[in-house]
Amino acid sequence: MTGTRGLVAAVFLLPALVLLGALVVYPIGYSVQRSFFDRAGTGFAGLDNYVEIFTDDTILTAVRNNAVWVVVAPTLATALGLVFAVLTERVRWGTAFKLVVFMPMAISMLAAGIIFRLVYEQDPDRGVANAVWVGVHDTFAESSGYPRARPLPVHPLEEAGGGAYVTKEPVRAGTPARLPLVGVAPADVPDDARPAREPRPAPGAVTGTAWLDFTKGGGGTPNAVDAREVGLKGLRIEAVRDGRVVATATAAADGSFTLPAAADGALLWLPEANFREPYNGVDWLGPTLVTPAVIGSYVWMWAGFAMVLIAAGLAGLPRELLEAARVDGANEWQVFRRVTVPLLAPVLAVVLVTLMINVLKIFDLVFIIAPGSVQDDANVLALQLYRSSFGTDAHLGVGSAISVLLLLLVIPVMFFNIRRIRKAGR
Amino acid sequence: MGSRTAPASPASRLASRLAGGVTQVFLVVVALFWLMPTVGLLLSSLRSPSDISGSGWWEALTAPAQLTADNYAAILRNDTITDSLLSTVMITVPATVLVVVIGSLAGYAFAWMEFPGRDWWFLAVVGLLVVPVQVALVPVSKLFGQVGVFETTLGVVLFHTAFGLPFAIFLLRNFFAEIPRELLEAARLDGAGEIRLFARVVLPLGGPAIASLGIFQFLWVWNDMLVALIFADSDAPPITVALQQQVRQFGNNIDVLAPGAFVSMVVPLAVFFAFQRQFVSGVMAGAVK
Amino acid sequence: MMRTTARKRRTVVALAAAGALALAVAGCGGDGGDEGGSGGDAGGEGTTQTVRLPKLDGQRLQVVAVWTGPEQEAFTKVLKEFEKRTGARVSYVPTQDAMLNYIGTKIAGGSPPDVAMLQQVGALRQAVERKWAKPAGAETKAQLAKNYSRGWQDLGAVDGTQYGVYFKTANKSLIWYNTAVFDNAGASEPKTWKELLTTAETISASGVTPLSVGGADGWTLTDWFENVYLSQAGPEKYDRLAKHEIKWTDPSVTRALTTLAGLFGKPDTIAGGAAGALQTEFPTSVTQTFTGGDRPKAAMVFEGDFVSINIAQTEAKLGTDAKVFPFPAVDGGEPPVVTGGDVAVALTEKPAAQALLTFLASPDAAAVWAAQGGFLSPNKSLDPAAYPNDVQRGIAKALIAAGDDFRFDMSDQMPQSFGGTPGKGEWKALQDFLKNPKDIAGTQARLEADAAKAYANGG
Repeated sequence: MTGTRGLVAAVFLLPALVLLGALVVYPIGYSVQRSFFDRAGTGFAGLDNYVEIFTDDTILTAVRNNAVWVVVAPTLATALGLVFAVLTERVRWGTAFKLVVFMPMAISMLAAGIIFRLVYEQDPDRGVANAVWVGVHDTFAESSGYPRARPLPVHPLEEAGGGAYVTKEPVRAGTPARLPLVGVAPADVPDDARPAREPRPAPGAVTGTAWLDFTKGGGGTPNAVDAREVGLKGLRIEAVRDGRVVATATAAADGSFTLPAAADGALLWLPEANFREPYNGVDWLGPTLVTPAVIGSYVWMWAGFAMVLIAAGLAGLPRELLEAARVDGANEWQVFRRVTVPLLAPVLAVVLVTLMINVLKIFDLVFIIAPGSVQDDANVLALQLYRSSFGTDAHLGVGSAISVLLLLLVIPVMFFNIRRIRKAGR
Repeated sequence: MGSRTAPASPASRLASRLAGGVTQVFLVVVALFWLMPTVGLLLSSLRSPSDISGSGWWEALTAPAQLTADNYAAILRNDTITDSLLSTVMITVPATVLVVVIGSLAGYAFAWMEFPGRDWWFLAVVGLLVVPVQVALVPVSKLFGQVGVFETTLGVVLFHTAFGLPFAIFLLRNFFAEIPRELLEAARLDGAGEIRLFARVVLPLGGPAIASLGIFQFLWVWNDMLVALIFADSDAPPITVALQQQVRQFGNNIDVLAPGAFVSMVVPLAVFFAFQRQFVSGVMAGAVK
Repeated sequence: MMRTTARKRRTVVALAAAGALALAVAGCGGDGGDEGGSGGDAGGEGTTQTVRLPKLDGQRLQVVAVWTGPEQEAFTKVLKEFEKRTGARVSYVPTQDAMLNYIGTKIAGGSPPDVAMLQQVGALRQAVERKWAKPAGAETKAQLAKNYSRGWQDLGAVDGTQYGVYFKTANKSLIWYNTAVFDNAGASEPKTWKELLTTAETISASGVTPLSVGGADGWTLTDWFENVYLSQAGPEKYDRLAKHEIKWTDPSVTRALTTLAGLFGKPDTIAGGAAGALQTEFPTSVTQTFTGGDRPKAAMVFEGDFVSINIAQTEAKLGTDAKVFPFPAVDGGEPPVVTGGDVAVALTEKPAAQALLTFLASPDAAAVWAAQGGFLSPNKSLDPAAYPNDVQRGIAKALIAAGDDFRFDMSDQMPQSFGGTPGKGEWKALQDFLKNPKDIAGTQARLEADAAKAYANGG
């Protein structure tokens, strides 16, 4: 029984055990031991390195982000996977759909990182995420003719809050009003804008000129209509008295406008709509959104995994139970909520746990997608481990402590796996 | 699974048709959404650098004249990229073969050989499934440095093999254990030794599991960046590392990064489409990894 | 440090006169030092040999630097020339910004690269302290003595021992501008900080955002601070702050930050606003200033001579569409001259590594890259004819003429964790400051806390 048999077994197992021992087990021992020593590796440091993990700002951010990752990413991926799995059962081309969603799993995190750097490009002319976002936004709030135009301090206008401007003094019929502004990009000046005219008084009406008080090439006098200055064609002007708009006008090509006598004594408002800036989208990779953005790319990669596992579980469900529920008058949602999900619970648990382990070790995506300026904000444990382990500032004690922390976090899963296997073995 | 028992009343039939339509539309939208990032990369890789920096890739949809293979021509003439693709192969193939060979030897031993503490050893190996590779970076660097395989392809291969083994052993042991005992007994009666038995009976029967494992490991190693970043020969880095070196100035090097990323994806995608079934079953079995 | 880049190898365009610029930059008149050209045949292949190198047939050598794209191509040409002369085989590996992290991974396994082009003096010091760096050999020192001024030699030394060779340098006290925008606004080149503010206002009134800031790369912000601080507080304070002999909570720092806030804090001054600037990488900060026809994203962009490479990627012609003026003097101080540079240091004892340092210290090596453009050498034996255009030739002559009268990039002199790591220390603190320029006290407190920590860790 033993003897030669045992020897043969040893020969079969030897390569595996040597590799596992040297490259997997030994490093665990090394890390555990090293984590109790100081930077130089000579002085015993007790739990100092572990305390450092939870006190150093940068590392603490990593801990926090990892917590967010572990909760959000697997949940989202599993939820999407569940929805996709259930829905694909109802369409003929379900397999094709599954292929599409599952495909990202085959590519490297590096490639996915490059893909999403492109997606999250800030400039809405280049990044598709912002292009869509801005597109949606602009259907509700259009940008306007003179973004960022504004008066100078010497001008008879002042800020009225909310991006609007208002005259400092009320206007009078017969006394022409001046509405000078600066800060209009040459490209924003309408092609058909004409040289502005000094405002002329008109009896029984409030007249005035709205013009771009800026001479090309410099040299103009502020607050005066100089020769080559043009009218602000299309500028909307509202006469407001006692908080009510009493009249409105639009500037002509030479900047002139006329309001009825009713505007006498009112303040002239240039509503915010004149100056609304083109919406520039969201800073996906800015400090606040970078972690959600990277999580988004992870979900893109791994929702397919959840979907395929759940679909396999779904295929194994007893159909009679579902049909019975339907016959009992349950609608699809109730069937899903009350029958499908509970029956799938074990599969869902496996998927969630698997993704959680996977997410704990996330490195490449953050490393590639987060620009240098926000790597601290996007920091995760595996990235911090890399930073702490190598370089002149390396602190192997802290690096090892992070290793051990990662290990501790996966140990429950280790036991979960072992229990499952022992059960299956029986 | 399109067919279902027909609903009873015409009204509910209409409702379910409607729901079916909504489902279809929803799934089409999701599928397009899922494809979009990859399509974006592909189209970007086919545009000139000045087009990329000037406008979004979607412009190429309406102006197909923009598309050009120049970036691809350039990276295929770029020694760094072509050499790194070769390095990727040189790392991936041995790391896959070794895991399959060593894993199936051990898997067989755990399934069919008797030795003291067998089940405990097996559980210990399974426990190693979840050990993150990051734990080993520093200690293995030092170890490899002492042995002289740091900064070599061999080092990366050994590392990937070691971290692929727990899954390999787990998968193959379970698969081998399903082989009917009579088959093995019959061969033993014919006088076959363990080695013959393993080579002639067990390995051929283990085909499907070995295929799943091989594909899984192949993709895993092919797609790795971190391990290679640290252990690989920096004069012959794999494609992931070579591309990573260009990321520092992402916007400027996009004409290398986009086609490079796409080229690096071609093999995994081909493997994926060719061996979907094995890949999926590998993934399912490996759900614990 | 120099982070230049570009993607196409478009040669930098021939240009109109810019000699005046050069003189202004150096802050000293006259026809600055056209010193000791080594008999270089102008514009020809760098075939002149002024340095003797050993035969190294079959020896292998690995060099790391951060350069990618056209800079990588140019540097590879330098290495090719070395291969041709010695028979050694050199490979080049680009790394990310955190180069010491990368080298650290290789040191952990006991096989570091042979030569590293470190970006910071601080990194050199740390590499020496960790015993990674190897002292320069006699041949290299001989070349340095022959070709480099005392100041540039000393920058490569740590505690009296020579380690590094400054191969590539940068004049980081330049502001580049879009001439069309200036003409349209009737603005002129400012000489003082006050005039810069007025110019910014004028340009803003003309409808163009005055300033482009590549805030995603923290080093552009440290360079802003250093120029203001050097001019305002003077060279002595600058040196003391660089050594952390005065704290970051010092009133001189408050003044410098307040001055900066006067520019950054104004609405509509920075392209894309602070949030947009923090998402803008340095190369984009340049290209967006010189593209977009009559609607460029900004009128001016501040950074070193290497900006010319990025301008070359646009349609703008250097010298006509794009011009440059020296960083203005702040509060009556001298106009600042802040330089940066990449220092070559040997990490192994291989003779080939020493030979490469020797080569890099010679004008022969500098001539190879100079011809490619986007390069500035502190090597005074380099024939200015090696530069491909007048703008760069002018900047180079001015640099050599300045002799040792310059200050080296402060953040590069400090420990890397404080002065040279993305998302950490000074880079991060100044990025936060850009976001909220009102918080001067908070910025100072944060800078001091991070600096204290970095220096305590043995900087």
